[in-house]
Amino acid sequence: MGVNDKLPVHAEQSPGGGIITTELNKIFTLTQAKSLWYLLFGTACCAIELMATGASRYDFDRLGMIFRASPRQSDLMIVAGTITYKMAPVVKRLYDQMAEPRYVLAMGGCAIGGGPFHYDSYSVLQGVDKIIPVDVFVPGCPPRPEALLQGCLEVGKKLRTQKIDDWRVR
Amino acid sequence: MANKLHLETMQINMGPHHPSTHGVCRLILTIDGENIVECVPDIGFLHRSIEKICENRTYAQCIPMMDRFEYVTSMMCNWGFALATEKLTDLVVPERAEYLRVIMGELNRIASHLLCIGVTGLDLGALTPFLYTFREREDILDLFEMTCGQRLTYNYIRIGGVSRDIPPEFFPKCKEFLDKFGEKCDDYEKVLTENPIWIARNRNVGVITEQMVYDYAVSGPSARASGVNFDIRKHDPYSIYDRFDFKVPVFYGGDCYDRYRARMAEMRQSASIVRQALDQMPEGDVRCKVSPKFKPKVGEVYSRVENSRGEMGFHIISDGTVKPFRVRARGGSYNHLLVTPEIVRGLKIADLVAIFASLDIIMPEIDR
Amino acid sequence: MTKEELISYIQENFSGKVELIENDMPEPYFLIEPKAIVAFSRFIHDDNKLIMHFLMNLSGVDTKENMEVVYNVCSYRLKHRLFFKTVLPHEKAEVDTVKEIWAVADWHEREAWELFGINFNGHPNLTRFLLPDDWDQGHPLRKDWVGRDVIPFPEGK
Repeated sequence: MGVNDKLPVHAEQSPGGGIITTELNKIFTLTQAKSLWYLLFGTACCAIELMATGASRYDFDRLGMIFRASPRQSDLMIVAGTITYKMAPVVKRLYDQMAEPRYVLAMGGCAIGGGPFHYDSYSVLQGVDKIIPVDVFVPGCPPRPEALLQGCLEVGKKLRTQKIDDWRVR
Repeated sequence: MANKLHLETMQINMGPHHPSTHGVCRLILTIDGENIVECVPDIGFLHRSIEKICENRTYAQCIPMMDRFEYVTSMMCNWGFALATEKLTDLVVPERAEYLRVIMGELNRIASHLLCIGVTGLDLGALTPFLYTFREREDILDLFEMTCGQRLTYNYIRIGGVSRDIPPEFFPKCKEFLDKFGEKCDDYEKVLTENPIWIARNRNVGVITEQMVYDYAVSGPSARASGVNFDIRKHDPYSIYDRFDFKVPVFYGGDCYDRYRARMAEMRQSASIVRQALDQMPEGDVRCKVSPKFKPKVGEVYSRVENSRGEMGFHIISDGTVKPFRVRARGGSYNHLLVTPEIVRGLKIADLVAIFASLDIIMPEIDR
Repeated sequence: MTKEELISYIQENFSGKVELIENDMPEPYFLIEPKAIVAFSRFIHDDNKLIMHFLMNLSGVDTKENMEVVYNVCSYRLKHRLFFKTVLPHEKAEVDTVKEIWAVADWHEREAWELFGINFNGHPNLTRFLLPDDWDQGHPLRKDWVGRDVIPFPEGK
């Protein structure tokens, strides 16, 4: 019933109630996937869609996603917009400041591979994956908020396949 | 000597990753306590070489680049570039297309002002206006999506007209939006205009004097909030703006609060222009025949449109080939960021946030 | 003032150093000697019948033979517009700054210096701002510039 149905299969309710036996791993990843805090990091057009996703109609909060302005407090970095050569060291530094486990979502054509600025541009980095590892790519120029929401759910899925031991060694 | 207070200034870095700098701008602040002594903007974090790219594209291929030049009011960037190219080619745009351009441009202006007011609220710690304004902004984006299929980068206004006609369900949807928009504006005013916290944070903060407007070429709502009655739609009319009846709201304080009021008043005027355009719109073609690889005549043009941030100008030099020889785009934020160091001197860092938001600075317009 | 009135007024009051470029634009277009650019700017800014307070745009242009600086100005009050430009040699592209007259020229000039290599004499702060600090590939908007990492646009698209 209710929440109990949704608990992982190995979770077992004790006869007296209130106690659940499960793997620590499951609890960690489940809770984390349900409260992904993302770094408010928008550079260009996609940032406006990122804001729209957070605002009234699409409402990021219902996925447990709240924006943080500090990289220290965030789990997910949504790279929204074009990254130029001048910006690249800043992105790298922000990524380095984030605590493990950390995930990166590349939003939009520019962050994936330069987008409309792929050809002839002398100052645009051809994809943010050249400087930091990217977990999920969301294509579009800019992607619709629904696409971004699905991308974030994919990050959650990926997160739940991981072991907490992996985080230590990474 | 021991009693002498030892004062020294400190340098801090605001940005490039800072939530209130609306994009990626770095401000190097020299502060004395919490008072700003000096502010030096460092830009270029979003310099995407649009001008260089345009030199290697045909005129029609430049239009999507202009979407990205200033994404909050993409319609007006498309329009500005198309207008400049049409001047070089002597194209005559069909009547219906002109009306569609005005409707889309003014709706886009409302959407942009809504974003600005919402985000100003967010920066000053009020979350409610952000949620309110984005609610209405989504309605406008629905109308755009119905027209051209995109929410942000439209590529709708093309050289010689617009890309396609609007669907029949656009009219009732747009009228419905306009009917309720007046009340929604009243709602924002109730939340913000008389709000004592809002007034305390905005009134007499960041005053741009009339002289500064002239020196720094400030334009748009920011100039009109400083008592300079200058609106390109009225004083150098392009397209068919001379057919509509609208007022240019002018305020005289020059502070953040008046800039907010100018935007608010302008939104109502824009809604009225859209209403008039919907009523007057004739039937007919929406695009004249232009080859995708047309060659404009040799020449030079500077054409400007009134953007939601100020004057947006396009300086195009044509050498008679299919590609432009030189394109320079100029947006209003360029000047507004340049005037920021002048007006923040002596204020607190928190005021800088209010000023930045009220000038509605958007970085890609500056960096290009 | 109409285009003809503007042309005759400027030619009367600033004769000798200006040359009219014939065009079919709504604005007059003048060619000015590099040495006279500050004097001319000061004149159109301060003159009571012109009051060109509004420097709309300042573009650097590389025409392959020469470098040019194009100024577009207008008046807030009188609404008339004016174009003028100056032509500089490629090797020694130098012109005096108009920053003192229009404060907004500050960044426009810095940009022209950075992207075209046009030197503005008297500008106090010609430093990098659009390109990365460690940029070493010259002036990218010059026509003969070849970039290291630039992927060319495929032909025929």
